[in-house]
Amino acid sequence: MRALIFATIFLFSTSPFSLSSVISDIDKSDIELSTRFDGTSILVFGALSPENDDTSLLVEVVGPSTSVNIRKKVQIWGIWVNKKIAHFQDIPSFYQISISNPEHPILKEIENKKLKSLFYDFLEITSKPEDGNVVEQYYEELTRLKKKLGKLNTFEKRVNIIDKKLFSHRVNLPKKIHPGLYKIKMTLIDQQGIELSKSEQSVKVSKVGVQEFLSYNSKNNPVFYGLFSVIIALFLGFSAAQLFRWLYR
Amino acid sequence: MQIFLPIADVPVDLFVLLILGAAVGFLSGVFGIGGGFLMTPLLILLGIPAAVAVATEANQIAASSFSGVLAHLKRRAVDFKMGNILVVGGLLGSAVGVEVFRIIKSYGQIELFVSLCYILFLGSIGTLMFLESLSTIQRSRKSENTLKQKKKHNWIHGLPFKTKFKSSNLYISAIPPVIIGFIIGILASIMGVGGGFILIPAMIYILGMPTKVVIGTSLYQIMFITAFTTFMHATQNKTVDLLLALILIVGGVLGAQLGARVTVKLKAEEIRILLAIIVLLVCLKLALDLMMTPNDLFSITYGSGS
Repeated sequence: MRALIFATIFLFSTSPFSLSSVISDIDKSDIELSTRFDGTSILVFGALSPENDDTSLLVEVVGPSTSVNIRKKVQIWGIWVNKKIAHFQDIPSFYQISISNPEHPILKEIENKKLKSLFYDFLEITSKPEDGNVVEQYYEELTRLKKKLGKLNTFEKRVNIIDKKLFSHRVNLPKKIHPGLYKIKMTLIDQQGIELSKSEQSVKVSKVGVQEFLSYNSKNNPVFYGLFSVIIALFLGFSAAQLFRWLYR
Repeated sequence: MQIFLPIADVPVDLFVLLILGAAVGFLSGVFGIGGGFLMTPLLILLGIPAAVAVATEANQIAASSFSGVLAHLKRRAVDFKMGNILVVGGLLGSAVGVEVFRIIKSYGQIELFVSLCYILFLGSIGTLMFLESLSTIQRSRKSENTLKQKKKHNWIHGLPFKTKFKSSNLYISAIPPVIIGFIIGILASIMGVGGGFILIPAMIYILGMPTKVVIGTSLYQIMFITAFTTFMHATQNKTVDLLLALILIVGGVLGAQLGARVTVKLKAEEIRILLAIIVLLVCLKLALDLMMTPNDLFSITYGSGS
């Protein structure tokens, strides 16, 4: 893969047309969620041949989709009770966007456009709006809570560019992440935000071992899982009784 | 050492869980209580979802009660007929309880519901225990000995479906044991407790069973009910975290063995007051969590449910 990259760099650098382009690779294509998983990071790297200095590189990481409910605590008889107020259907469980040039003129526009197309467009209002700008409030809460959980990161980290030709970027994944396919998209854009070239990679995140066995069977074979849990418990209870009877004979 | 629980979906510290299991196990060894009514709220306070805490604790109690019932079988201290009738009521209660649990869970209010049940429950148990041990201490100072159990002819003897319980030397209606079993089944399924602290007094004072078969018979029923409750929660709510259960079982077994063999220097009543205070503190913490203004009014949950 690396040989390919360097070959391509060579190809691009000698190409008489010199169109803007980007190629990329990642340091791992599989992440295993074991019971000991404690977060990890993915290194994204590659080469680009920008047309001119106005070109910037965007790196996006899009995690598998999940549905999210926003709940608000309301006070009833002195007790704080959760109330479901909004629902977002199938939005990325993890999303990070970074750029090589933090001074890009339309950074805010890009961010808003991305958040809208990936998150805000999937809002389903559950409770009746209390005032006019309630929808904006739901957007804000979603963004704030996701950021707090480390599952949303917008332009907080910069993509490193070396000698205008090579780039590298480290993506940190929190310890609580959803299994599934994580797509990593590299896009070269100009000052107006127009896409010049794209490259995409993906990382498969999957549960393994005990983690996978238990969560898979709990969901898909609940009868087996229920019986298995009971049998294991009874077996351990029996073993404990035997063990201590033998010890204190 | 951090480990990630597959069903609870939260990272926890393995040693914290082992120590917690051992500590509650130790208390159950000393007091002869199941410990579920302490373990479930403590798991919730550790950040484990209430629905998972309840179902998983039922699984743990299945293990500890089976271990206990084996010891009592050797001593022939189990009234099987009474136990089976209690089990029948218990299975019904558990099925009803799990269904109620599922409905409340689908409304997204299970955390609140379990908390409220515990506040009510721990509050009353703790207060009763506290007052009782205080009065026992006072009584023992006056060196009076008035605690004598009398066999009374009460309303129980007027009920139909009378049957003979040989091991308990009783001839009573089957209705009260079924009802008591039913209540225990409900408690096991919505609170993740064995229910021994209700079952045992009920067996002694309501059914009039002799003390020698009470503990063995109650463990016998609790084992069946918690095993069934585990199965029901696994199939209806998918909230049994076997990994969490395993850790708690290991910790609990070690703690209980220690607790049963350690000669405690404190007087029984003084330990009971200590236990009452622990129970009341846990109750207070749960109540405060419900009443204090939360740091963050908003929260996220995943999935298409609530």
